[in-house]
Amino acid sequence: MATWTWFHRLGSPPHVYAFAERWTKWFGGFAALAMVAALYGGLVLAPADYQQKDAFRMVYIHAPSAWLSLMIYSTMAVAAAVGLIWRMKVAHAAAAACAPIGAWFTVVALATGMLWGKPMWGAYWVWDPRLTFELILLFLYLGYMGLRAGIEDQTKADKASAVLAVVGVVNVPLVKYSVEWWNSLHQTPTVMKMGKPSMDLDMLWPLLLMFVAFSLYFAAVLLTRLRAELLRRERNASWVKETVA
Amino acid sequence: MSGSFASFSDFLAMSGYGQYVWPSFLIGFGVVILNAWLAVRSLAAAKRDARRRMEMNP
Repeated sequence: MATWTWFHRLGSPPHVYAFAERWTKWFGGFAALAMVAALYGGLVLAPADYQQKDAFRMVYIHAPSAWLSLMIYSTMAVAAAVGLIWRMKVAHAAAAACAPIGAWFTVVALATGMLWGKPMWGAYWVWDPRLTFELILLFLYLGYMGLRAGIEDQTKADKASAVLAVVGVVNVPLVKYSVEWWNSLHQTPTVMKMGKPSMDLDMLWPLLLMFVAFSLYFAAVLLTRLRAELLRRERNASWVKETVA
Repeated sequence: MSGSFASFSDFLAMSGYGQYVWPSFLIGFGVVILNAWLAVRSLAAAKRDARRRMEMNP
């Protein structure tokens, strides 16, 4: 069936490799441009917040990082599930490629959150629901990577780590909705909510552009890591020999 | 200086929050650069490895 050919191509390492090679520079290039523009907009052009003054500018690094940490985990869990259900090697490779990127942005979300918490709440860390679940997210990423590193057999490592990734996905809504379900020190969403965002347009556009920039950046880094994963897994395949020759 | 700040020293001061604002951007964009570099390095290593295998058993 013609509609399924894309799915078969998605399962074919040389196709995915060629696709990744073609698109990485575009994603990366636009990500860099958007980041520079968003940084200028956020750090220089946006007016100061009436309560938080210029401390609010940390939102331009904190919120996109926190969002990436959740988006990457969701991507990883979906890829892992596809790998489990359809025994698709490319999907397992994609899930494995997600983990280090997601772990790094969880660290950024936590670190920038601490730097924001100190002047606003008076402490670098409080055992608040959202902060605690975000910390658990970091442990899930690290556990996933540790599990993969600890199992020699590729198929077994794929399966075991995929189960962990899929089970751990329950933590994603816990992070996202914790500020609404429990009394939290953490402020509720300003942009990602139904209806009109409660933010001035001059403040809003750099933030939205930074979200776009971070997504494109993730795509570029993921595709690069995916290529490396595919080369390692398929080291005996003839397409690898043709590709690196 | 144009934008939201009257002078460059005001920009650096971030209305007194500079000690929190600047480290957070440094950490954030440090990780952005680091991640890209790690990915590129990992791909280069995988390519090198594949080439070496090819030379060993053509």
